Amino acid sequence: MDDVEAIKKCQQGDREAFRHLVERYQKRAVGHAVAILFNRDDAEDAVQEAFVDAFKAIGAFDTSRTFYQWFYVLLRNRCYKMTARHRPTESLDEALLLVSPRGVADETRFALERALFSLTREEREIVCLKYFNGLSYDELATHLQIPRGTVMSRLFYARQRLQGKLTGVFRREQEA
Amino acid sequence: MKELSCEEVLIAQMAAADGEEAGFSKEQLAAHLTGCANPQHELKQLQAVDQVLAGHTLSEPSIDLWPAIENRIAKRTRAALHWRPFALIGLLLVVYKLLEMLPARDPGMAFKLVPLVIVVLLFVLIKENPFKINTELVLER
Repeated sequence: MDDVEAIKKCQQGDREAFRHLVERYQKRAVGHAVAILFNRDDAEDAVQEAFVDAFKAIGAFDTSRTFYQWFYVLLRNRCYKMTARHRPTESLDEALLLVSPRGVADETRFALERALFSLTREEREIVCLKYFNGLSYDELATHLQIPRGTVMSRLFYARQRLQGKLTGVFRREQEA
Repeated sequence: MKELSCEEVLIAQMAAADGEEAGFSKEQLAAHLTGCANPQHELKQLQAVDQVLAGHTLSEPSIDLWPAIENRIAKRTRAALHWRPFALIGLLLVVYKLLEMLPARDPGMAFKLVPLVIVVLLFVLIKENPFKINTELVLER
């Protein structure tokens, strides 16, 4: 079943068709929610709420867009609402949000997680979408609904802040 | 030709390093870089960040959110259905009051019983006698 067919069925109240959409996009959605919230439990909670919102609002789905583009706006709203309510307090020691390539010390992964955690949600979101989801500048602009120039500058400032936070890692690497 | 700032040059160079359109011509960037060494130094530092980030991926534990989502959908649907009968009863009472206020009409004594019928309907709907005190411990509804 393709998305268009699934959406048409959902609009007639078919929950099984909606299940199909959830199963297709849940992993990507959790990845994107983690990019904003940097907390796995909160991310899963936000994704669940966003899918419920999507089910309720699917009657108004704009067929000129792809399902995920439309859904991403709902997900983002949910994540932002969540960050407005509280700052995630999960201990990053237990979070294991990133997977390091072979040969990279756990310390580096941990430092990177901490550095990402210290960014603003907008900065963290754009960095994660670019590096971990492989989105191009144009895709980022569409996804985040910002001009391409803003993508460039936001990425730049985020990287600059990360650079400041990761100086310890670079020093260790130079010494090693 | 517009004079570029160090920041603009850096942003453009990072975009080029990402394989994206830089927004300025190579000549414009070169013109700035011949007279200023700052961006080159900072570019190297930013590219080091790039390298650290590029090797990592977000961990992807296997998940199945459908049972939880289905539950939430059912809960919200139930909640949405729950308030509708009360809204209807409220509306009926307002309509009754409006009709009663019409000066030219005398609807008669039977009409006076309408609110009573509505209230009885409400009790039937909530399946509870509000005048009865329940002395038993109710753990779950």
